[in-house]
Amino acid sequence: MKKSLWTFGTREVVFAAIGAALYGVLSYATNLLQIPGAGNVSLRPAVAIPMFFGVAFGPIVGFLSGAIGNILSDLLSGYGFWPWWDLGNGLMALVPGLIYLSIKDFRSWGDLLKAEGMVVLGVALGMGVASLSEIWVSGIDLATAISLNFVPAFITNVINGLILVPILMVAYSAIVARSGR
Amino acid sequence: MRMDQELPLYIQNLTFRYHRRNTPSITNINLEVKPGELLLIAGTSGCGKTTLLRCINGLAPRVYSGDLTGEIAIFGKSVQQLSMSELSQQVGTLLQDPERQIVSSHVFNEVAFGLENLAVPRQRIIYRVEETLEYLKISHLRDRETFSLSGGEKQKVALAGILVMQPKILLLDEPLASLDPVSAADALQMFRKLADDGITIIMVEHRVEDVLAIHPDRVMYMEDGQVIYSGDPQGMLDTIEINRVKLPAEVVVKRLTPGSFPSICPPAPPTDPRELVRFDHVNFRYKPESDLVLKDVNFSVRQGDIIAILGPNGAGKTTLVKHAIGLLKPTRGTVFLEGKPTQQLSVAQAAATLGYVFQSPSQMLFAPTVQEELEFGPKNLKHPPEQIQQNVDWALKSVNLLHERKSPPLALSFGQQKRVSIAAILAMRSRILMMDEPTTGQDYWNYLSFMDAIIQMPGFDAILFITHDLDLALIYSNRILLFKDGQIMADGRPEEVLSDTELLRSTHVLPTSLLRLNLELLPRTGRFMRAEALVNYL
Amino acid sequence: MLVSFSYRPRHSFIERFDPRARWIMSLALLFSIVLFWDIRILSFFFVLSILQVFLARLTWQETRRAWLFILVLSTMMILVNTIITGGGTIGGVISGGKPLLQFQLKIPVTGWIIHYVLTRERVWFALAQFLRIISIGSLFLVIPFTMDPRKYGVTFRGIGLPDKLAFTMDLAFRFIPTLARDFQITLDAQRARGYEVEKIEGNLFTRIRRMAPLFVPVTMNAILAGEDITNAMDLRCFGLKKRTWVESLKYQEIDYLMIGISILILVGSLLLRFVFHTGDFWFPM
Repeated sequence: MKKSLWTFGTREVVFAAIGAALYGVLSYATNLLQIPGAGNVSLRPAVAIPMFFGVAFGPIVGFLSGAIGNILSDLLSGYGFWPWWDLGNGLMALVPGLIYLSIKDFRSWGDLLKAEGMVVLGVALGMGVASLSEIWVSGIDLATAISLNFVPAFITNVINGLILVPILMVAYSAIVARSGR
Repeated sequence: MRMDQELPLYIQNLTFRYHRRNTPSITNINLEVKPGELLLIAGTSGCGKTTLLRCINGLAPRVYSGDLTGEIAIFGKSVQQLSMSELSQQVGTLLQDPERQIVSSHVFNEVAFGLENLAVPRQRIIYRVEETLEYLKISHLRDRETFSLSGGEKQKVALAGILVMQPKILLLDEPLASLDPVSAADALQMFRKLADDGITIIMVEHRVEDVLAIHPDRVMYMEDGQVIYSGDPQGMLDTIEINRVKLPAEVVVKRLTPGSFPSICPPAPPTDPRELVRFDHVNFRYKPESDLVLKDVNFSVRQGDIIAILGPNGAGKTTLVKHAIGLLKPTRGTVFLEGKPTQQLSVAQAAATLGYVFQSPSQMLFAPTVQEELEFGPKNLKHPPEQIQQNVDWALKSVNLLHERKSPPLALSFGQQKRVSIAAILAMRSRILMMDEPTTGQDYWNYLSFMDAIIQMPGFDAILFITHDLDLALIYSNRILLFKDGQIMADGRPEEVLSDTELLRSTHVLPTSLLRLNLELLPRTGRFMRAEALVNYL
Repeated sequence: MLVSFSYRPRHSFIERFDPRARWIMSLALLFSIVLFWDIRILSFFFVLSILQVFLARLTWQETRRAWLFILVLSTMMILVNTIITGGGTIGGVISGGKPLLQFQLKIPVTGWIIHYVLTRERVWFALAQFLRIISIGSLFLVIPFTMDPRKYGVTFRGIGLPDKLAFTMDLAFRFIPTLARDFQITLDAQRARGYEVEKIEGNLFTRIRRMAPLFVPVTMNAILAGEDITNAMDLRCFGLKKRTWVESLKYQEIDYLMIGISILILVGSLLLRFVFHTGDFWFPM
């Protein structure tokens, strides 16, 4: 039973925590390729998880999965703590969550395409905010922030999201009927 | 409606239909439960037990929306009129899988959770948590991490988290499902004690034989959302259909007439069997500094073997079978798979000969259709496309799922998913089948038909299965490996291994009614068999 | 797969402080550091940050990975920033200046000519950048190693986040070991079906798609478990009212001292920057 876009009840708490833990664990486990130095950029297929959680459970769940998940991933890898990248990851998954209420069938072409569009927007916004924060924090110029932080982060995350979010949505369509709520 | 303030639970003409279903899940339930009574509700999966529990604890229709008609009252007050916080202090619910009930990383915080939510003052919480841990005799677990607990300990901690809220009624949803026999016996004793101390217990369970050991005061048997029987335990044993739930062997044989059941039994191994797998002085430890998990293990699997690997949880059974397929490599010694040491094989190469089905099918199902799910293995093994199609068809036919070819595996029922996971191995044309706890998650009726089908399936040279269910080993295997503390304690025909009562005691294997009856009749039968077949020898 | 957090009790000076006080301190210092480009002021913060690392008794062994990460990260950013593109932004490096090094580079094929000038100012600016990044990096590096994950929830509650949000953090920690185990099981189950992760085959797209056999079962199982967990929490009255936290935190005198000093530093920094207008980019003439 879907209520409103910004509900934050028990169910949202649980799925935000699960999304965050999944994002943390899976990015730690499947860090395919690291591009060191490129502003926390690495090829982490797990970035699709918080974006999918946004689509499936709403923007708040998406945001928390992305932000807390990125904190956990850094905690597990021992990378310290980078608040503006955590924020960026949260926003990246919040945006796809905005279409949560309008999804009727997780395996229909229309809804899948809608989600794909939001993935591109989400990654652009999230990574944009994080990269621009680097200008403020590290004092680099816009060109550096774009070439070194934004472009690699945007490309890798968008590719991962575009491929894996629909796969997860189709799989979820099979179990969504099993939830009685 | 009778407003009896003394009666913990009063249900009259209760009917519930989920909004997304067309027919009611339970119809016209009537029930009265007295203080301190232990009520057993038995039935196969889908009989409406879970829905009934949800109506009592208030989840239906609060979170599971639907139409509820009839009366349901706790100490004279209607469940719908009670608030969730009032209700939670009257009714406690222990869900089936304790792992899915525990919300904290540490035991103390887990037990405190409910009281924290009720905003009880901190000092009071600490006092009550400690009191509850003491009561359940688990004070030593206080500062442990919940993740590292054993299944039985997890359940006790989850129970403590409910008892700390001091409910008068306790609902237990299949509390034995995830426990090995020793922990299950222990848990049952604990439930008896709770009832004796005045808590009303309503337990849903299909392992009727086990529950009868603690003498439930009353039994209710449900089928298709309706009550078939309600009354004393003996009456149920005399009325309900056998084989739906697990009844004591003596009851089964008493109720049947000779010759009424066809006997399915494991085929005898061939006289000159080929050796398929050999463990040669295998030792294993996970880390150089940790203890040995396997200690000098020696045995061979031969053509025609149906081996049950029996032993308590944590004995190293799963570690053992993972060595056969090369997921783990011995620290010392060698495992040979068709003559080749597993050190020289990749897991993928080993998988071409030996198929390993994990405990829960949902741990491996991922594809959008059953067809694609079954193609996954053979494609990984680089089989040619025509051969893949042929084998997939054959596998689907063998597990009787041709009609589900286009369905998403994740949408199937648990039993069907289990069959898909077997078919995935069949489609790879692996000659040896290994299964980890093949029956968990299935009710008695389903798991018997599942195992019957596997045993009769063509295409396997040998079958191994891990289990802690003694009856399963006894009925379906032609060889038993008894395992404890990383060592093989016994290896032989079921009739040899299981007649050694001293050995069973030392390996914590609890004899069942079926074993006792089989041992009694062994001089006449010559081999072990299921209760239905024993009738012919009485 | 075994996951482990970097936290273990190390009985260090820094662990004696209340985690809330430490968060306030870290955030106050962060917001102070980003105000400045003056290398003399930045050195002060740099010393403070490094001091915290020592007071936390962190060893090189356990923090190596994080340090390498910060070093490579900052070096890359500074190199690209000073060499390839123009230079700093906010501090504003004066264009022109005294050239230290200049050369012309002709890129083959395209024929583009890069005229490169490295000035003294740019070198000093790069140094300021480096100090900033290292200070901020090491400021937060300490946290995962010295804060008990068990206290995250109550800490965030204590800083003022709502109950539900703070509990989300605790619940996420609870799921980590379980999901790590589930991932390992699924990995083994798929390997038993001939799936090989190590094998790098095909292009990037195929490689990402090959994550599906691992991601889908773990995620869907977790979602199904989530339904039960939600029920379990509803049945134990989660979210009905403002809850008690049995994990408690108590400010000691030293915590007030830390918070006081942190606020002083932040206020001082703000004054320096916006009232006295000091702290801009500076370099020795």
